[in-house]
Amino acid sequence: MQLTINRQTYSITEDQEIRMLVWVLRDQLGLTGTKYGCGAGICGSCTVLVDGKPTRSCLTPAATVADKEITTIEGLGIIQDGGEEILHPVQQAFLETQTPQCGYCMSGQMITAAALLDDNPAPAEEDIIAGMNDVYCRCGTYVRIKEAVARAAEIIAEESSNG
Amino acid sequence: MAKEKVKRKISRREFLIAVGVAGGGLLLGTKVGLPFARLKVAELFDSGAAPGGMDADATAWFLITPDNTVKLFIPKSEMGQGVHTALAQIAAEELEIEWQQLEVVQAGTGQGLDDGFGTGASNSVSTMYQPLREAAATMRQMLRIEAARILDISPNALTAQNCQFISSSDKSITYGEIAEQTQTWEIPETTPSLKSKRDFRFIGESAPRVDLREKILGKATFGYDRRLPDMLYGATARPPKIGSTLKSAQPGEAASRTGVVKIVIEDDFAGVVAETREQAYGAANALSLEWDTPKIWQQADIDALVTVGQGKGIQIQKEGDPEKSFAKAPIIEAEYRTPMAFHAHLEPQSATVDVKPDRVDVWAATQFPVRLREFVAKAINRKEEEVFVTPTFLGGGFGRKIGTEAAVEAARFSAAVGRPVHIGWTRPEDFHNGFLRPPTHHTFRGALDGKKIAALDHQQASGAVAFPFLPGAFKAILGADFGAWRGARINYHIPNKGTTAWLPELPLATGWWRGLGLLANTFALESFIDEMAFAAGVDPLEFRLSHLSADEIGKRRRDVLETAAEKAGWGTPLPAGHALGIATSTDVNTVVAQVAEISVTSDEIRVHKVTSAVDPGMVINPDGASAQIQGSIIMGLSSTLVEEVYVEDGQLAADNFNRYPLLRMAQAPEIDVILLESGDQPFGMGEPPIGPIAAAVANAVFSLTGQRLRSLPLKFT
Repeated sequence: MQLTINRQTYSITEDQEIRMLVWVLRDQLGLTGTKYGCGAGICGSCTVLVDGKPTRSCLTPAATVADKEITTIEGLGIIQDGGEEILHPVQQAFLETQTPQCGYCMSGQMITAAALLDDNPAPAEEDIIAGMNDVYCRCGTYVRIKEAVARAAEIIAEESSNG
Repeated sequence: MAKEKVKRKISRREFLIAVGVAGGGLLLGTKVGLPFARLKVAELFDSGAAPGGMDADATAWFLITPDNTVKLFIPKSEMGQGVHTALAQIAAEELEIEWQQLEVVQAGTGQGLDDGFGTGASNSVSTMYQPLREAAATMRQMLRIEAARILDISPNALTAQNCQFISSSDKSITYGEIAEQTQTWEIPETTPSLKSKRDFRFIGESAPRVDLREKILGKATFGYDRRLPDMLYGATARPPKIGSTLKSAQPGEAASRTGVVKIVIEDDFAGVVAETREQAYGAANALSLEWDTPKIWQQADIDALVTVGQGKGIQIQKEGDPEKSFAKAPIIEAEYRTPMAFHAHLEPQSATVDVKPDRVDVWAATQFPVRLREFVAKAINRKEEEVFVTPTFLGGGFGRKIGTEAAVEAARFSAAVGRPVHIGWTRPEDFHNGFLRPPTHHTFRGALDGKKIAALDHQQASGAVAFPFLPGAFKAILGADFGAWRGARINYHIPNKGTTAWLPELPLATGWWRGLGLLANTFALESFIDEMAFAAGVDPLEFRLSHLSADEIGKRRRDVLETAAEKAGWGTPLPAGHALGIATSTDVNTVVAQVAEISVTSDEIRVHKVTSAVDPGMVINPDGASAQIQGSIIMGLSSTLVEEVYVEDGQLAADNFNRYPLLRMAQAPEIDVILLESGDQPFGMGEPPIGPIAAAVANAVFSLTGQRLRSLPLKFT
C-alpha cells in the first residue's frame, strides 16, 4: 500500500494498514510532528489534513487514506531545493504572535487553522472560534490563537494582493 | 534570609572551568546555594524561596565555541513557560552579545552542574537572575583579561560588544578567538560590577522565544518523540481500581502474541516489550493477572476524609485572639469545597531509556531530572553516576511531570531486553495513574466590627501536595503540608486572624499542580472576604482596600487592586446583564488582582473579560509574562467552570476528555493584562496569576444573581 504524505509517496507494508495513521506517521515514518493527545478524537493534537480536510489521525486507520493526499505539520510549509523553509502563513502568524507555549497541541492547531483559512480566507472572529473550538490548548493560548489565525488571514490577503 | 543570595559573590571554588571542551572552548559555570531556615519555612516559602529539605541550587553554564557562538546550558526544563528565553536574556545582557549569537542548550544531568531543585515553584528566574548575571559578567571580565593579553593592550582600553572586544585603536578579537587562544584563565577575585538597569538591552524587552521556530515546524522533540535506532515499545499492566496491588502475574495469552519481545514480571510490576506500541499494549492486556483490591472507594468516602476536623490540624497562622471576638459579635460562617483535578497536560507521560552495560541514558519529559536519575538507578539497581537524564521539551508539565514514572518503567524494560525502550502512556493511563490536585474543604468564621473585619478564622482540609515527595523526618518538623496550604493564610490586615490546615490521608495520590493549593485556597478565602464585604454593606473593592497593611506589600496589593478595578471599569455602567467580581492573591511575592466580567444565561456562566493586574517585581520579558498570565487565567477558568473528577466504584470516573472536558476557545474570555513592575528583583510568573480567577468569577456571579456558589466548578444547582 502507498501513502501520499506531504507530496511524497511512502510504501507501507500490509501489517501497517490496520494501524491508526498517527502511529504510522510517528513510529513507522518518523513524522513525529503529529501528536498523540487522547486517542479518542477529542483533543485535536493529532489533526492532519486528508484531502484538505482536518482529520483526527488517532481514529483514522491507515488503509482508509491510501488514495488520499495527507498533509502533516512537516509539510505545511515549503522546503526549497536549497533546504530553506518557507513558512506557511499560519506558521508565520503563530510565530509572529508568539502563540505557542509548550507547543504540543500546536501542530493540530496550525493544521486546523490552515484548513479553516483554505475554506474561508477572511474569517470573522466567530468563524475563527467555530473553526478552532475543537482543538484543546492546555497552556491556555486561545487568546493568541485567535489573533494568530486573524493575522494569518491578513498575510494570505497581502500575499494574494501582491500577486 | 532569602536576600542573602543576592549579595553572595561567586568564589573561586564555585567556578567550573574546562578548557578544550568542544574544540577549544571555555566552559564556565556557577553554582549558588539558596539559603533557607527550616523553622522559618512557612514565611520563606510564602516569599518565594525554596522550601527547606530540597536542594535549591541555581545552575547554568556557558560554552564559547571557536565560531564565536555562546552556548548557554540550562538544566531547567522548558514546558512552555519560556524559561529558556528569559534566562538567555539575562545571560546575553551581561555577556554583551547579540541575540543570534546565543544558543540555548538543554542540559542533562552529568553534563555539568546538576540542578538539585528541578523546574517548578515559579522560581527558575527568581533564583537564577542574580547568579546568572554574575556568572556572565565574570566570564566577560575573564575574556577581557585574555583579550588584553593577546592584543597586548590594557583591559580598560577594550569595549565588549557584539561578542567581541574592540579597542579605540581599532584592534578587535572575538570571544571565540579568545577562547581558542587561551590555555589558562585568570579568575577575578570579586564579581565585576553589573550593568545598571538603564543600560539594559535584553532584560525588560519582549525577546522572541528561542524554542518557537522548531515548535511551529513540528521539529521540537518532546518526550513522546524521542526515537533511537533499534528501539522497542513498552506497556505496563495497570491496577484496575484505586489501591489495587498485584497479587500474581503470568504471561498467559500474551506470550504467543505477535511482536512480543519480552514479558517482564517483577515483584509489583508486569508489562510487555514489543516491536510496536500497539503490540505492546495488546499483549499487556492479555497478561494473566490477579489483583488485590482491599476496598471499593466512592467519592463520599473521599469527601468524608477531606473535612475540616478530620485527622490532625496544624495552626499555620495566628494573630490576636479570634475566639475572643467571636464570643462578642455575631459570627458569619460559610464552607467551601473544591474537587480533585487532573493536570491534563496534552502530552501524556513519556520517556525513552537506553540501558547499556556501562551507562544508562534517559530522555524524558520531566521537571525533575536529578530526582528521576535517583529513581531510575534504584529501579534497575545501577549507580546514580551511571545514569544520565536529559529533559526533552515538555508537552505541558503543571507540576505533574515532577514525577516521571514512565521513565522508570522504560528503564526496567530496557534493562530486561538490552535495547532502548520508549514508553508513551495513553490518555486513560495518564488520568488513572498519576497524582491529582487534591480535593479541599474550607470553613470560615468571621466577625465584623462596624465596616471592618474584627476576626477571621480559616480552617482548611486538603489532600497532600508536597508531603508525598518529602522525607519523613522533614514532614515531622513541618507538621502541615506547605503545598496544600499555599494561599490559605490571610494576608489582610485584620487584628485577630488564624489559619489551620488539616491533612487527611487519602487512598489515592495527590500532589503538585500549577500553583499548588493557591487556586483552591484563594477561591475559598477571596469568596468569603466578599461575603464579609456584603455583610458589612461595603463595596468589595473598597472593603479589600480598607484591609490592606501599611507596609510595602500592602502598597503593592493596593496598586494591583486599584489598577485592575480601574481598567475593568469598576463602578461604571456595564452592558445589561453583566456584572463584575474582584479577587486578589499573593504568591512567591508576586501580587495579582483580577476582575471578571460575566453574564449568566440559562444557568450558564459566561466570562466575557478578565482584567488582570500583576506586580511580579522586575519583568524580564513582558510578552512572555503576559503569556503566562493569559495561560494561567485560562487554566484557572477551566477549573472554575468545567473541570472536576470524582471517584466512582473504586476508580476515577473520567479516563479521557469525554468525561473530563477542558475549557475551549469559545469559552475563553478577552484578557487584559497590566504589568506593574516594582523593584530590581524578579519574583515568579508561572503560577501566581492562577490564584484569583475562580473567586473573581464567583464574586461576579454573586453580584449578578445574589447566589453564592461555594464549590468548584461553579454550578447553579
